[in-house]
Amino acid sequence: MNSTADKTELTGYDRRMRALMNDPRGRVLHATKGRRRAAVAASVGLTAAAVTLVARMFTYDELWAAFALLPVLLLWCLATGALNSATRGLFELRVRALDERQLLERERARSAAHMMTGALIFGAAVGLWVSTVLGDGHLTRAYVAPLLAGVFVLHWMMPLWIAGLLAQDAPADDSADDGEGPSYG
Amino acid sequence: MSEQVHNRMAVVRAERKVSRQALAEAVGVHYQTIGYIERGQYNPSLDLALKVAAFFELPVEALFSLEPFGPLTQEIYGRKAQP
Repeated sequence: MNSTADKTELTGYDRRMRALMNDPRGRVLHATKGRRRAAVAASVGLTAAAVTLVARMFTYDELWAAFALLPVLLLWCLATGALNSATRGLFELRVRALDERQLLERERARSAAHMMTGALIFGAAVGLWVSTVLGDGHLTRAYVAPLLAGVFVLHWMMPLWIAGLLAQDAPADDSADDGEGPSYG
Repeated sequence: MSEQVHNRMAVVRAERKVSRQALAEAVGVHYQTIGYIERGQYNPSLDLALKVAAFFELPVEALFSLEPFGPLTQEIYGRKAQP
């Protein structure tokens, strides 16, 4: 899975994506824990804004929402790009472009995200059931589509947010061309 | 769940003047993974440990151990050699 032989099976796309995800120019965006948290917070906020705008666009036929969506999507791409760079492409690269430690980290983030989205879906289902019992059903029908869209987006984005929060600072000597090595006793 | 595996990779890599990137490419992992192993933050699979040992042409037990490694000079020259 992670052997040198497997690395020769990488396609041009895999190599380009791996180089992009490890581009040192993006590191300024996620060099510290605070910046990574800010990127996750921005991604969460922008995702929520985008889902809300899409819901308004299709539910109420509001054209302004389509225009408002453009800058939100641009910023969303920037925040998501920062998180992909922070995680070195953990959720962008194919399995064959990741090594055993990266695959373990990916599974860890996915596992945590699975538990969180499970709890959120359960909460959403309970909310819909309560609104059905207490209301006349109109409210439930109105909220089903946006809730499903929200659940889908959460399911899609949550692993990246978790991985962004779990990513660690690179130590000072953690450079690729550390040929001389640190001074060991 | 997993026990700490001690290693001498950083010492040997520095002694051989091999960069993390060069070692990472030779054994087919990300260069950060080499750093994680050296700092004891990640225990490599047997497959990876054997590849690293083969790269340095050393027995795997010279690089990885369940017990902490003593100073290399002491191991080579023994206590009697110390002044």
